[in-house]
Amino acid sequence: MSALYFMSPARCTPETLASPLERGLVGAPESLRDLSPDGKVELRGDLARVGLAEGDELIRLTPRRGFLLTGDPLAAIDRSRANGVLAYDMTGALGGLAFEGETLFRRLTDLDPGALPTAGGFARISAILVRDEGERFRAYFPQELGHYVVEVVLDVLAGLAGGRSHRA
Amino acid sequence: MRLPAQPGELIDRAEPLGFRLGEYRLEGFRGDTIGSALFANGRRVFSRSFKYHRPRGLLCCSGHCPNCMMTVDGVPNVRVCVEPLREGAVVTPQNVLGRLDMDFLSVVDKFGGPFTPVGFYYRTMIRPRFMWPVYEKFLRGVAGLGRLDEHAGHSRRYDVEHRRARVLVIGGGQAGRAAALAAATAGPGVVLVDESVRLADVELPGVEVLAPARALGIWEGKLVPVDSGTVLYRYRAERIIVATGTVEQPLVFPGNDLAGVMLPEAARRLIRDFSLRPGQRAIVLAADERAPEIAETLREAGVAVPRVVDLREGARQLEAHGRRGHVRRVVVDGEETKCDLVVVSGGRQPAYSLLSQAGGRVEYDESLKVFVPRDLPAGIEAVGSVTGEGIVRAEGAAAYEGSGKCFVCICEDVTTKDVKRSIEEGFDSIELSKRYTTVTMGPCQGKLCQLPSIHLYAHELHTYEATIGTTTARPPWAPVELGLLAGRHLEPTRRTSLHFRHEELGARMMWAGPWKRPYAYGEHPEDEVRTVHESLGVIDVSTLGKLLVEGPEAAQLLERLYPNRFADLKAGRIRYGVLTSDGGRIMDDGTVARLADDLYYVTTTSTGADAVTAWFEWWNAVWGYDAEIVNVTGALAALNLAGPRSRDALQRLTEDELSADEFRYLDAKHIEVAGVPCLALRIGFVGELGYELHFPSSAAEYLWDRLLADGARPFGLEPQRILRLEKGHVIVGQDTDSESNLLSAGMPWLPKMDKDDFVGKFALEHFAERDERELLVGFTMEDDVVPAEGAQIVVEGQPAGRVTSARRSEQVGAVIGLGWLPRDRADAGTRFEVRVDRRLVGARVHHGAFFDSAGERMRS
Repeated sequence: MSALYFMSPARCTPETLASPLERGLVGAPESLRDLSPDGKVELRGDLARVGLAEGDELIRLTPRRGFLLTGDPLAAIDRSRANGVLAYDMTGALGGLAFEGETLFRRLTDLDPGALPTAGGFARISAILVRDEGERFRAYFPQELGHYVVEVVLDVLAGLAGGRSHRA
Repeated sequence: MRLPAQPGELIDRAEPLGFRLGEYRLEGFRGDTIGSALFANGRRVFSRSFKYHRPRGLLCCSGHCPNCMMTVDGVPNVRVCVEPLREGAVVTPQNVLGRLDMDFLSVVDKFGGPFTPVGFYYRTMIRPRFMWPVYEKFLRGVAGLGRLDEHAGHSRRYDVEHRRARVLVIGGGQAGRAAALAAATAGPGVVLVDESVRLADVELPGVEVLAPARALGIWEGKLVPVDSGTVLYRYRAERIIVATGTVEQPLVFPGNDLAGVMLPEAARRLIRDFSLRPGQRAIVLAADERAPEIAETLREAGVAVPRVVDLREGARQLEAHGRRGHVRRVVVDGEETKCDLVVVSGGRQPAYSLLSQAGGRVEYDESLKVFVPRDLPAGIEAVGSVTGEGIVRAEGAAAYEGSGKCFVCICEDVTTKDVKRSIEEGFDSIELSKRYTTVTMGPCQGKLCQLPSIHLYAHELHTYEATIGTTTARPPWAPVELGLLAGRHLEPTRRTSLHFRHEELGARMMWAGPWKRPYAYGEHPEDEVRTVHESLGVIDVSTLGKLLVEGPEAAQLLERLYPNRFADLKAGRIRYGVLTSDGGRIMDDGTVARLADDLYYVTTTSTGADAVTAWFEWWNAVWGYDAEIVNVTGALAALNLAGPRSRDALQRLTEDELSADEFRYLDAKHIEVAGVPCLALRIGFVGELGYELHFPSSAAEYLWDRLLADGARPFGLEPQRILRLEKGHVIVGQDTDSESNLLSAGMPWLPKMDKDDFVGKFALEHFAERDERELLVGFTMEDDVVPAEGAQIVVEGQPAGRVTSARRSEQVGAVIGLGWLPRDRADAGTRFEVRVDRRLVGARVHHGAFFDSAGERMRS
């Protein structure tokens, strides 16, 4: 048994798991999607030696630190450690939220939407931000702040729905 | 009455809008500003001045001066000359006792002068001291700039949006528009910001026009916040082009603040934009070349202009007189002209403030008699008249002679007399004088008073304007609502995975650092304490900081970070650890479990995780050990199952062996509980048999539900504090402070001074050589009263220490606590007193745990 066996939600029976965002997203627009259950692995070491499986997405934060978004965190951890890269299951550590709209993005962060993925300020907390096609984005943040993030995103969406400035 | 439709007028005469001024219902048109609509309805007095309560009318119509500041829909200090009229708007005057036309506080203007000279608030009303609250209330009542409606709540929503631009052009005049269009030929990403509503519908190919909106300043990194009303756009630009043009300057002469005295642009806007005749009979006074042009504009609007005075020809005496605050006649060198409008032009000053904020130098151009920007930093450019281009030298006097109050600064009611007096008193530097007289410190922020005041200083001191210099241009360039700067109220709240379970159980939630935690689940925390002692309790301790330290040299790293030993800790065992700073002071504490030869699991206090992570990483970088530090606080939930029934209850949910022989006190084991993999730590912060389960946070609700279904009763932070106090366990940060060390805090057994080195060793050796003046000890109160945390400890009538924790313990049958006492009073049984509710209550020092001092229960 791995000494870090206790860190992986993937080792729990599925009915035992819940998402930190699920209460906040009740009734939310469909453009918001909960990515919290997706596998996330923190990597430390020579990232070039990480063996990626199909569909894996490696986000490099520093030359020796990265996040791997993967469908199978246990396999990814085994593979990485076998290649000499320390790997930790952070699936439970990070909440994840997909959202749409560059204006929404710009109201949540001062990061350059053209320079993603990166880590930085998001809704006054730290997050990892990824851009998908068009104006679709993903944010990964400490799960304990997940409900707060959903509250903020819904609030900003409400503001955007409210129209332009009173001066205009 | 409106003029016939003017070419390019902004109003839509087909769409009338109703609004209120006090009890009066008035009407304007779509496209009006509130100011123009009030003017169209015959209003000429818009406000009362800051200090003297003099009636003030439209002066600039550009949003620069304070003369039209009114309260609109509960928001004070709205410059109605640029505030668009909207249906149903409620406008009220401010800084008025009575009516705008009859302000009782204008008595200050008539009789208060001798009592309110410049800087009077530094010299008068300061004695007797006990009267200050009365003076303060009085001054707040008679002065000021409107009142906030404390009961208005969040009347507007404000948002912040971060944007990027390749080229940001500030100012949409001719030069600004040309610069924007030129920049657009090189590619996209050009944004033009302008205050004028006229530009709102202007289309410039390849340029995004943001209007009406104001650039508030230029910060490092070419950050430009732009106020668009309810959204603050924070632009990061690669290149900034400033085309802010010039600001028309008033003339300084007695009566220059009367209603009916206007700058040329004000008259022009009333005529051109709102089809309003600014007066019936006007005199034009110009110190520059604009007099004929102004007169022509007025005459075209049907205003009689009996006299046009070119002040460059050398007038010396100039004064305006009025009735009830409205201008009625002007006297120039003894020649009187009756009028109801005076259009004054004191020249134009480049609006350089943004360039100055960006790091540009500002110097006085003697040929133009204005200050101009020079030496702009890379990426910042200026175009148009803000550079001084096209400006014709104005030749007015610094101040004209005449009788009556002559204002240099209309925002703050600073007169020429005030400035001269401040110079006589020694305030001969413009920066010092600014602070003394408050000239340039009012709502216009120097736009209309800086140049005239500098001219006056130079004149009075017989020196050059270049010698006087300017005051510092600071953001914001234009007034901005604080709500807009603040944006949305965001308070990042950390919630454990069980937060909503706690709420469902009726827990009273409290802040614990950045976390929300249950204080207790009922009205009586002592019930929850009893449950832990007698049966089975469970507490959510997910907030504990959790770190992994892994690598071939992980043991060496911890060995040097902690005062005690961890290299000899066996895999599967736990040891308590306290982190000390370089200065030997206590930083944080927690447990360290060795999971494998090269892997440790470290817990910290709930608020210490980030700091401890940074501390570990810092020292690891310094020492260069081959070890990784990973903060896994959020990845894992943690529950402390405590009480004499805990082993049996947990055993029912796991197939792993939990007997006392197989799972000893201070063991760390991997077990599976109800299908959830856990790291179980046998530790006892609350003093009873207990298991701390650490497991994936996403399984927290499930495992919590299972434990509660099995009979565990939740307990909160308050019961936990009582339980730990019964054991005499210290809470770092509550019982210790930034001066506490291991020796004074009663943990001399912890540091292993025979180790080669550890952080804080040198300081601890030094502490050991001297006797600690204070020691942290336990105490028992003689009476059943609970002193407040921080309560004073008294020895022989003198303050001698402080209480850090105190609670009533049912188990101990007394009020117990921890506190800092002088060393010579810290022996067990020594009596001292604690101040409780203004009386002294006896207490006695207690060493060790108050309950189960041998620790048999938690080791069972």
